[in-house]
Amino acid sequence: MTQKMLEGFKVIDFTHVVAGPHATKILAEHGAEVIKIEPLDGDLSRLLPTHREGRSGYFIQHNVGKKTMAMDLATQEAQEICHELIKTADVVVENFSPGVMKKHNMDWETLKKINPGLIMCSISCFGQTGPLANLPGYDWIGQSYAGIVDLMGEPGKKPVFGDIAFGDVSTGAHAYGAIVAALLHKSRGGNGQHIDISLVEVLFSYHEFSVQLYDSTDGQVLATRSGSYHGMLSPVGIYQCKDRYVFILGLNHQWEGLTRAMEREDMFNDPRFTDVMAMAKYKDEINDAIEEWLDKVGDVDKALEILRANRVPCAPILNIAEVMDHPHSKERGTVRTISDPIFGDLRVPRTPLRFSEFPDIPDDQAGTLGQYNHQILREQLGYSEQKIADLETAGIITSKNI
Amino acid sequence: MSRRHVLDGVKVLDFSHYVAGPHCTRLMAEAGAEVIKVEAHAGDTSRHLPVIKEGRSGYYIQHNRGKRCISLDLRTKEAQDICHELVTQVDVVIENFTPGVMKKYNMDWAALSKVNPDLVMCSISALGQEGPLSKFPGFDYIGQAYSGVMGMTGQAGGPPALSGMAFGDISTGAHAYGAIVSSLFHRANGGGGQFLDITLLDCLFSYHEMNVQVYDASGGQMVPKRSGHRHSFVAPLGLFKCGDRYLIIIAIGPQWANLAKLLGREDWLDDPRMADPVSRNENSDEINAAIEAWLATIGDAEKAVKILIEDHHIPAAPVLDVPEVMEHPHMVQRGIVQTIKDPVFGDLKIPASPMKYSQFPEPLELQASSVGQHNEEILREKLNYSTEQIASLTESGVLGARDDT
Repeated sequence: MTQKMLEGFKVIDFTHVVAGPHATKILAEHGAEVIKIEPLDGDLSRLLPTHREGRSGYFIQHNVGKKTMAMDLATQEAQEICHELIKTADVVVENFSPGVMKKHNMDWETLKKINPGLIMCSISCFGQTGPLANLPGYDWIGQSYAGIVDLMGEPGKKPVFGDIAFGDVSTGAHAYGAIVAALLHKSRGGNGQHIDISLVEVLFSYHEFSVQLYDSTDGQVLATRSGSYHGMLSPVGIYQCKDRYVFILGLNHQWEGLTRAMEREDMFNDPRFTDVMAMAKYKDEINDAIEEWLDKVGDVDKALEILRANRVPCAPILNIAEVMDHPHSKERGTVRTISDPIFGDLRVPRTPLRFSEFPDIPDDQAGTLGQYNHQILREQLGYSEQKIADLETAGIITSKNI
Repeated sequence: MSRRHVLDGVKVLDFSHYVAGPHCTRLMAEAGAEVIKVEAHAGDTSRHLPVIKEGRSGYYIQHNRGKRCISLDLRTKEAQDICHELVTQVDVVIENFTPGVMKKYNMDWAALSKVNPDLVMCSISALGQEGPLSKFPGFDYIGQAYSGVMGMTGQAGGPPALSGMAFGDISTGAHAYGAIVSSLFHRANGGGGQFLDITLLDCLFSYHEMNVQVYDASGGQMVPKRSGHRHSFVAPLGLFKCGDRYLIIIAIGPQWANLAKLLGREDWLDDPRMADPVSRNENSDEINAAIEAWLATIGDAEKAVKILIEDHHIPAAPVLDVPEVMEHPHMVQRGIVQTIKDPVFGDLKIPASPMKYSQFPEPLELQASSVGQHNEEILREKLNYSTEQIASLTESGVLGARDDT
C-alpha cells in the first residue's frame, strides 16, 4: 500500500479565503485530486499579503496541492464545464454566501441530479438556513455572533481582537472530518449527501463551559471578558515576570505544586484555599502572591524551571518569531517550507494531521490563476484546443501568472 | 440502508479526558460510533467541573454523551489485560494523557499495534509525542502560549488577554476526528492500521492564517503583535464602539467601495494611498476616524449593523454575549443550542454539534454515563466475564465501583 489515503478521489472546489480552502488543502494533502474553480479575477485571498512578483504568500499557504481553473461562473458555458467535471467527482466543496451556488445552477438540488452519489459540503458563516443565512461573513463576524469576541479583553472595556483565523481553520477541520465520514459512509453502501457547516456553530461549540453554566444557573452566571485572568477559576491567567509574560495554571492538585514552587506552604494550608470554586473569590490576593514571587525570581526561564519541577502547567507567551525559532517547533516540524516557483521559499504552519503511515507532507505547489484550464478541459472533458481557445477569446476562462 | 448514522458500527475505546479528546469522541458518538470510555476510579477530572447538580457535572455531560463508561485501575495488570482484550475488538483507540503515560500502562502504539494490527490509534497531546516540551503537562492555554496565539490577543503594548473558552481543544478534537475517519476510510480501501499524533500546538499554530508567512516573507521585518481592536496588517478591519455597544466591521475585499461611498468618501476609490488592504492599513487612522464619526451619527450598534450589512452589503456584526447568542432568532432557527435531558442533572443546554448531514438530519438521543455505569455490561457482553469474575475484580479494586451520580 503506497497509495495515499484519498488517492483516486476527485474534489471540485469552489472555495475562497480560508475556511473552505483549509478543508480542501487537507483533502489535497491526503492525495485527493482537488480542482479549484476561481472567478476570473481570482480568489480574494490572492489580494492578501505578502506579495512578491504579484503572487500572494497568503494564497499559497492555503492552496498548495490544488489544480486551479479560472472561469466566469455566470456564463452557461462555465456552468456546463462544472457540471461535466462534477459528473465524475466524489466531492464538491463551496463557501459562497448561501444562494450564490443556486444562482450559478450549482446548488445541491441541481448537483445531486447530475451525480446522485455526490457528497457536497457547503461552508458558510451562518449556515444554509435561518434569517442571517444570506449575509456576507468572515471569521470575525462569526466570532461576534457566537459570543466569542465578547469574552476577550478587559472587563467593562472594549473587547480586543485576535489577529488569527481561529474560526476559519477549525471550521475547515470540522468540514474535512464530515466529508471523510460521508465518504466512509458511502463506501459502506450509503448514499451521497449534503453537509452544512457554519462558522458560527463551530465557534459556538468553543464554549466548553459558558453555555451550560449560564443555562444551569438559570442565567445567574454569565461569562464575560476577564482581562488576563480566568473569570471563574483561580489561579489561571497570564502573569508578568519582569518584561515578559507567562501563563500559569494552579488548580486542584497543581495548587499544591504551585504553593511549593513559591515556598508558600502557608497558602496551601490556608482553609480559604481548599475549594477550587471558592478560591476565585480571593483571586486578587492569589494573583498578587504569584506576581510577587515572579518578581523575586526575576527571570522567566528560571521561574518556568521551578514551576515545571513542581508539575505546574506553565508556558512563556511567545510571539510568532519565537514560536518559529523554538527548538520544540523545529524538532516537530511545526513550520514547513513551501518552495514556490514564483514567490520563492515561504514558511507556513504545517497541517496538524500527522499519520504514522504517511509521515511526510507532499511537496506540492499552489496553482497560478487558471493554470490547469487547458489540461483539465483537454484531458478530463475531451475539449479541443480550438474550443478552449474560443472560451478564452469569449472571456469565459482566463489565466494569469500570479 | 438502515444505518443510524455515518459511523454506525465503528467501535472506539476512549482513554481521553477533559475536552480535546472528548470532543473528538463526542463527534464520533454523535455520528453513530460505539464509544467505550475508560476512566480511573475517580472518573474523568472534568466530572468535578461546574455546574454540579446532584453530584453530576454539566461540563462532563456536554462533552461525554453517547459513551459507555468502564472504570479501571490502569496500573494493575488485570486492568491492562481487560483493555488489551477490548482493543482486539475495536477499530479505534484514542487517548490524551501526557506522553509516556500510555507506555507506562503497556498501552502505547508499539504494544497495541501488536494486539490489533489493524488498529487506528490517535494520541492527542498539548505539545506532541516527542520534542523537548513533550513531557510537560499541557492544557489548551499552554498550547495557546507556545503557538503564539495568546501573544496575538490583547491591547497593543499591554498584557495579553486570556480567553474564557477552549478554542484549541475543540479544533484539535475536530482535526483528530478528521484524521481518524480518513484512516478508517484508508483501511476500508485496503490500507492497514496506523498511529496519529495530533497536538494542540499544531492546531493552534495553524490558526495563523497570515502571521507566519508575513513574518517569514518580510524577512522578519513585519513581526505580528497583538493589536488591540484592529488588525495589524490589513484595513479596515476591527472593533468599533457605537452607543454603548460594540460591533465589528470588515471591508477589505470588494466591500471597500461600498464603505467609501457610505462614508461619503468616493475620493478614496481613486486615492493611491487607499489602493489595497495593506496600503489602507498604513492610513487606517484616517479611515477609522471616518467610520467612528459615521457611527456617532447613528448612535445604535444594532442599527449601524443593519445599515452596513443590509443596505450596503458590508460585513459587520454586533458583539453578542452568550445569552444573546442563545436567544438570537437565527441561532434558534438553526438549532445551535441543543437541550439534553439528563436523568440526574435535568435539562441542560449545550452547543449543538456543528456537523449537519442531510442523510441524518436529526441528532441521536444520547446520554452521558456515570462512573463505571457499564462495567458489568461491557465485561459480560464484550469479554464474556462471569458474575463471579466481575465481583472479584471489583473487590480487588481493579474495577471501580459504580457511582450513579
